Amino acid sequence: MPMYGDLGNKLVQHAKRTQNLAHLPPYQTELVRAVTREVRDLDKDVASLLEPFQGSFDPSADQPTACTLLVNHLSIRRNKRCLLAYHRTRTDKLEELVWNGSDVLDLAGQQAGGANGASAADGGASSSLSPQEEDYVRQYGDLLAAYKGQWTDIDLTGSLEPPRDLFIDVRVLKDAGEIQTEYGAINLTKNSQFYVRQGDVERLIAQGYLQKLG
Amino acid sequence: MDIDDILREVDPIFHDIPQEQRDLQELTRAWVAERSAPELLPWPANGLFERINANIKTQIEKVEELTGDMDPKTNFALIVIQTELERYRYLVRSYLRARLAKIDRHALHYLSTDALRARLSDAELAYATRHQALLHNHYLSSFLSSFPANLQNLNDSAAGISMIETPDLESAVFIRLLKDTPVEGRGVDADGAMDGRESDIVILRWSDAKPLVEAGSAELV
Repeated sequence: MPMYGDLGNKLVQHAKRTQNLAHLPPYQTELVRAVTREVRDLDKDVASLLEPFQGSFDPSADQPTACTLLVNHLSIRRNKRCLLAYHRTRTDKLEELVWNGSDVLDLAGQQAGGANGASAADGGASSSLSPQEEDYVRQYGDLLAAYKGQWTDIDLTGSLEPPRDLFIDVRVLKDAGEIQTEYGAINLTKNSQFYVRQGDVERLIAQGYLQKLG
Repeated sequence: MDIDDILREVDPIFHDIPQEQRDLQELTRAWVAERSAPELLPWPANGLFERINANIKTQIEKVEELTGDMDPKTNFALIVIQTELERYRYLVRSYLRARLAKIDRHALHYLSTDALRARLSDAELAYATRHQALLHNHYLSSFLSSFPANLQNLNDSAAGISMIETPDLESAVFIRLLKDTPVEGRGVDADGAMDGRESDIVILRWSDAKPLVEAGSAELV
């Protein structure tokens, strides 16, 4: 028979695993639902245990009941923390993706076989994000854009490596079309190599079009 | 930055160095401190970032002006300006992101009291408030709304343990002393005290180092 908190533990294990993954594994809809259900059941148990006492429960007079209540309460709180930890780990991951400028919603859809993510929560051919998470990503993207907007000259999402050289060698991994630089237009065709200003191509490196050499 | 900069900063006679240079020093110091301190430090209130922003804007304009000039002599100046600009930008970016990382990590803590809120800039305050609201909403719509009402809070402190995490003020930092001053540190087994000399580098708990840093007797390295 499964014990209280087993499910919560599974969520935490999922969260722990997520921390070390490059991508986001599918949202555990069923597990989240089951843990939430356990919380509600426990809460009902607490209520029905307390009912006969009419609000005048004395823990020292009825120690077995007091102990049950305590265990129930602790299980509820533990489950809540497990759920919070699981969701926070995932949102942290999502925020990281937003900061990196990747199109999270698109990415999640691709991973799961290109299906439309918003439509389903179960089954293999759906997004690895829950619908709520998709909303969250969208809203966080807006929030970040708003904050970034106050620092337009800095490019807040730019590289956090200290700049060493103004110009760098890059190799083109994917056709990226033509870009405008102050030294004229460059046509970025696959497998070609260029010596360009880092600031001009930072975005393209982050998005995987270009690779920095040396 | 070297020791001379620090002396200049402390010594009022040297205050005839240009404002831009002092701003850069201040930015660099704020950046180093923010990256080493375990908790969020106050946002510089003296208009430092307004000035820096204005400077960056001027330099960008200058770059645009000079662009297209292919004369090797002036072109070299352009490259110097651009390199400087990139570095300046990096400092500001890294500083802002270090702050944002701390704010995200302990958002509820920094929003909990007015004294802590005052450490954030207006933009950061808006960001933190909104981010926290987004998160809470996300929790609510994902699972919290089906919880019993009395369990929906995110700031319970049941059984003496608060749900709000706070930064670890006891973690260790390195500081450099800017003047001779006694240093006291609390240890696990025993406390220690020493007569610090100027430019000594000491490692101790942030909670012990904080008064020294705030008094200007030491800086984080």
